[in-house]
Amino acid sequence: MTQERGKLRGAKRELWLAWYVTVAFYGLYSVVFFALARAQPPGRPWLDPGQTVAWFADRHWGLLIGFGLIFVLGGFSAVALALITYSIRRMSVSPAYAYSYLILYAIAAIPGFMFICVAMTCGVMRPDLSPVTTQWLYDLGFLSFVGTMGVFLVGSLIWMVAILIDENGVLPRWFGYLSLVNALTEVVIAPSWIFQRGVLAYNGAIGFWVNVPVFGLYTVAFILLLRDFIRRDDLGTGPLPMPPPDVWGHAKRAVEAVGA
Amino acid sequence: MTAVDGLADDAAVGGDDAARRFPGDPDMWIFVVVESLVFTSYFCIYLYARTQHEQAFLAAQSALTMWVGILETILLLTSSWAIARCVQCTRAGSYAAARQFAFVTAGLGAAFFALKIAEWVHLIRDGYSFGSSDFMQHFFFLTGIHAAHLVIGFVALGVLVYELSDPRRRSHKTIETCSTYWHTVDLFWVVIFAMLYVVR
Amino acid sequence: MHLSAERRLSVAWVVVVTITLIYLVIDGSVDDSDVMRASTVASVAAIGLALIKVRIVMREFMDVRYAPRILRTVTDALVLTMGVFLFGTYLVGRAIA
Repeated sequence: MTQERGKLRGAKRELWLAWYVTVAFYGLYSVVFFALARAQPPGRPWLDPGQTVAWFADRHWGLLIGFGLIFVLGGFSAVALALITYSIRRMSVSPAYAYSYLILYAIAAIPGFMFICVAMTCGVMRPDLSPVTTQWLYDLGFLSFVGTMGVFLVGSLIWMVAILIDENGVLPRWFGYLSLVNALTEVVIAPSWIFQRGVLAYNGAIGFWVNVPVFGLYTVAFILLLRDFIRRDDLGTGPLPMPPPDVWGHAKRAVEAVGA
Repeated sequence: MTAVDGLADDAAVGGDDAARRFPGDPDMWIFVVVESLVFTSYFCIYLYARTQHEQAFLAAQSALTMWVGILETILLLTSSWAIARCVQCTRAGSYAAARQFAFVTAGLGAAFFALKIAEWVHLIRDGYSFGSSDFMQHFFFLTGIHAAHLVIGFVALGVLVYELSDPRRRSHKTIETCSTYWHTVDLFWVVIFAMLYVVR
Repeated sequence: MHLSAERRLSVAWVVVVTITLIYLVIDGSVDDSDVMRASTVASVAAIGLALIKVRIVMREFMDVRYAPRILRTVTDALVLTMGVFLFGTYLVGRAIA
């Protein structure tokens, strides 16, 4: 009995390692894109060559160092992907869901995540690059980042369906519905590069400022839920011994605490 | 304690919370709350832009036809009524009637969709589209994303009818959850209509 | 008078459709024949009526009326929050325009 518990704890160590790597990856991603490279919030779409040269010049070292870090540590994203895929395999649904999710995200990660790093690094690497080439790299970088949203969207819908029909209680159904909220905000992003300005452009009030916080909320939710899942996981194949977190239970206690 | 169609009646239970239960899956209500807040942010962005460019928005808004919006609203409100009747019949065990109401709901939803598409085609033919003005960008975006919700609503109705069709299934919880989703399509439209067609 | 659930639903439908038709009155009274004019009163009324309809749909059509207190509290808070943001944005926006 103690040997079995020891084995469980040992096997779970791998899951915990994967979880901490997931947290590190999203932390790295946020710091690099938002603070170092300042590629987010994105530059305005449809800039002219002179403006793109200025955009790159303004971010010269941030882009080189930030994306340099991504080139070294970006592989962490594969670990995060593997952990989510494992959560789907632990569900009572067909393995096809897990495999489709894994393939979709793995493939989309190259144009949708690595490519902007390559394009933007190219843009600042050489001091004598022509403005037209710089403009081309700027467009390529943001377009690949934004345009691949459709593939990520389909992947997250697969995860959503798996969560909603799962009978093992791996992740709560409310997170499945939150995935739908996230998916519906992502729908507007894939074609957003068509807009040269306005709220639907990829830097717009809706295109960026509503969609990214929703995505942020979704990401924080699944990171916390994956932690809770690992705690409850018995590494078996049937229903988990304990149910997932109940939002309404928490809400009720919060409201009672306030005395409403 | 009298049960009205399987529900704990307001008057009968008074403050007795224990006798009450969530309509459908409680987690679907998380969707209702969060998506409502997301739509509210879209509306706020629209309202702010509107107040800063009043004349331009008014000019573009005049391309819309009020009675079309009114008709669309009534179609969806009636579809909400129909699916609520479907749920009532389900609780009473009248599954055949429930199924009929589900089809009525789908029919009204389809009528709304057809009218919406006709409206879009009409506007586009008159030269209005996403790019023609800021108002039109908001109009096509809000009605477009709403239409996406509507399409998902048809999927939910499909699941609901599937559940009703076989005596071995008929999970009341699933039926009520699909109904809750359908109502959100109506809820969002009610506010979208006020925003786009009436607000000046 | 205690209505059956079915009658109650029909009454609720009549109420929300009537509110919808009130929009026609607002629309007719605000504009100068064919020219559309801005109107704070019309806009505030439009938003207010929409939120009233939302609450009726939630309470009567979505059965929140029969739901546990937490759901009734949360949905009321939702309508209130929407109101605060929508009215607030419109009125503040108009003030600083």
